[in-house]
Amino acid sequence: MRHYEGISLGNSIAIEVQELTKRYGELIAVNGISFTVNRGEIFAFLGPNGAGKTTTVEILECLRRPTSGKAYVLGFDITKHQPEIKKRTGVLPQDFYTYERLTVKETIQYYAGMFDSRPDVDELIRLVDLEDKKNVLFRNLSGGLKQRLGIAVALVNDPELVFLDEPSSGLDPKARHGVWHLIDGLHKKGKTVFLTTHYMEEAEILADRVGIIHNGRIVALDSPERLISEHGKRNLLILKKTSPKAVPNIEKLGIKANYDKTTSDVTVHLNHAVAVSEILHTLSNTDIPFGELQLKRSSLEDVFLNLTGVSLGEEESGI
Amino acid sequence: MSHVVIDLKASLKTFWRDKSTIFWTLAFPTILILLFGAIFSQSSMRYDLYVQNQDLTDGKATYWSDSLITVLNSTNAFNIHMVDASVNGTDYALANRLSSMLIVPSGFNTSANIALYTHGAVTANVTFVYDQSTSSAPVVQSIVMSIIDKLNFELSKGVEYFSIQDLTIAPKRFGFIDFFIPGVIGMTAMTTSIFTSVSISARFKQNGIFHKLATTPLKRYEWILSRTIYNVLISYLGMAVMMLMGMAIFGMKMTLDAVSLLMVAMASLMFTGLGMIIARFVKDPDGADAAANVVTFPMMFLSGTFFQLSQMPQFLQTIAQVLPLTYVSEGLRAAMIFGQAQQAILNTALITALGIASIIVGSLITKWEED
Ligand SMILES: Nc1ncnc2c1ncn2[C@@H]1O[C@H](COP(=O)(O)OP(=O)(O)O)[C@@H](O)[C@H]1O
Ligand SMILES: [Mg+2]
Repeated sequence: MRHYEGISLGNSIAIEVQELTKRYGELIAVNGISFTVNRGEIFAFLGPNGAGKTTTVEILECLRRPTSGKAYVLGFDITKHQPEIKKRTGVLPQDFYTYERLTVKETIQYYAGMFDSRPDVDELIRLVDLEDKKNVLFRNLSGGLKQRLGIAVALVNDPELVFLDEPSSGLDPKARHGVWHLIDGLHKKGKTVFLTTHYMEEAEILADRVGIIHNGRIVALDSPERLISEHGKRNLLILKKTSPKAVPNIEKLGIKANYDKTTSDVTVHLNHAVAVSEILHTLSNTDIPFGELQLKRSSLEDVFLNLTGVSLGEEESGI
Repeated sequence: MSHVVIDLKASLKTFWRDKSTIFWTLAFPTILILLFGAIFSQSSMRYDLYVQNQDLTDGKATYWSDSLITVLNSTNAFNIHMVDASVNGTDYALANRLSSMLIVPSGFNTSANIALYTHGAVTANVTFVYDQSTSSAPVVQSIVMSIIDKLNFELSKGVEYFSIQDLTIAPKRFGFIDFFIPGVIGMTAMTTSIFTSVSISARFKQNGIFHKLATTPLKRYEWILSRTIYNVLISYLGMAVMMLMGMAIFGMKMTLDAVSLLMVAMASLMFTGLGMIIARFVKDPDGADAAANVVTFPMMFLSGTFFQLSQMPQFLQTIAQVLPLTYVSEGLRAAMIFGQAQQAILNTALITALGIASIIVGSLITKWEED
């Protein structure tokens, strides 16, 4: 592929990465990954802590140098045209932080000044829904509001491409949905968004395409729907508020079941739809009670589990 | 350049909103001055003056040499120590590490008489031997000179030839506060610059502000320039507050000239760079503050801010000779109080050189990005 350095118009590819590797001494944080991000799409890197998401993103933001491999952002070589890239991209770093004693409005003005751009500051504040906080100091904002300010700051230069490193990490569900709504808004404005996350739900809901990254390698890359249909073979049946005695009854059918003591739920990984009727039939012949019956379709969580042998959640709690 | 202005505005706003920073930069030295000023302002300082009288007849001081020494003594500016006439004056001063010594040469009495009768066609000379690197020598010299000037003036007017004993010379006498305030100005420039630089470098690194800044077109040198200007401005603010206090409360006379302004700016530059160097070697903000304390505290006490160097034990004086703050304080004193232009310029030149070197090293080793 040819790269028209400096002229990226008309090119449908926003990011191209070839055999990118980053070592920290002995540790290989990013291990020869290749992928492309199309213009106008939301691309998500999904993986647990330590997978190499931040390292990759920061190489693309020209903050870290790759050990080997090539990467082009908006047609510019990351090792040669860093000012061009910085001018045209917006960045929400992981754990965004800024001057404690500047207000929301002053912060946006400050970063706008750094880009020599003149955005409509009030419009940006409205976009991230901080109108009634615009004169509040950064230090007095809650986590979710800080993050929204960070997104506003990432937009001061009206970037073609926005990097969001764990945009909703550490936020409560309400704040998280606020951030998702914002990201969706960026998408609708035609911006290219590269986000990283360890929440499978975030990737599944927001992303057009998801790269699953584990131990510095991309183990799968596709749309969430196709990832699930290809790798998330198992659907899930949950029997709420039942007794452990359900387990041996179900396992008699040659299907594995798990009892969870804290919730007194039994979970069954289904291999084919027929199993549901068999299980219900078996249980109706016993006096084992159950409160409610839930059928869950497979999620990216299962895709990750299938591909790596570990669950996203397990790894996360280990950090 | 606009980036520098924007960042500078932001940091000044931050300064204004951070009351604890204002306290440490302004209120702390103010309290220090009021406290020390109140304790010491009563007793004006006396300097040690070593005098060797070589003008003796039959082992007794001649009339004029004796008169001169009596006048020097009567000013109360000095504790006079007589040195035996038989030793070599310069060698003695060196051997005993005296900062200065006045030698009345033999023949002084005769010269004085001739000077008197010829109305100054010949002058009677005394020799002032001194060590240029000390703060007290120029002061002692200026007092001695003013006394001799006054003496000459009185005599050449043709009146009161013999009223030398009554001479109530009011030489420029310096009190503790004169000594202290320039020292505190230097000290404030140091603490402001080092602490701001160290803690900002360490904190911005830890909380990710450098990280965010690195994603913008802001250049590292623009940021460093802005923060250095900020430190200089805050040091000037400290200087202004302390000068006003010295003048309003203690009735001091201070000169604010280009040299003293340059000195404060360059001191600030030097300590900003030093702060960046320190920050490079600490892991977290708490460690950074501790490291800054380790550097500033000894300098505060060993650089002659609170006590005159000549009153300290010899080994501490030796240490003081290698501490940059010593040269800042002495340069400021020379410029603002004692009117010793040469020493002021020398010290300022030294600090300028150190300042430029330190800011360059500091800038080169400060990193925003990881590798
Ligand atoms: N500056 C660094 N020096 C050494 N190791 C690092 C550095 N940054 C990251 N790592 C290591 O590289 C791996 C990937 O880290 P990172 O890219 O931050 O992962 P993620 O963002 O997916 O959590 C981790 O094992 C991490 O400890
Ligand atoms: Mg990360």
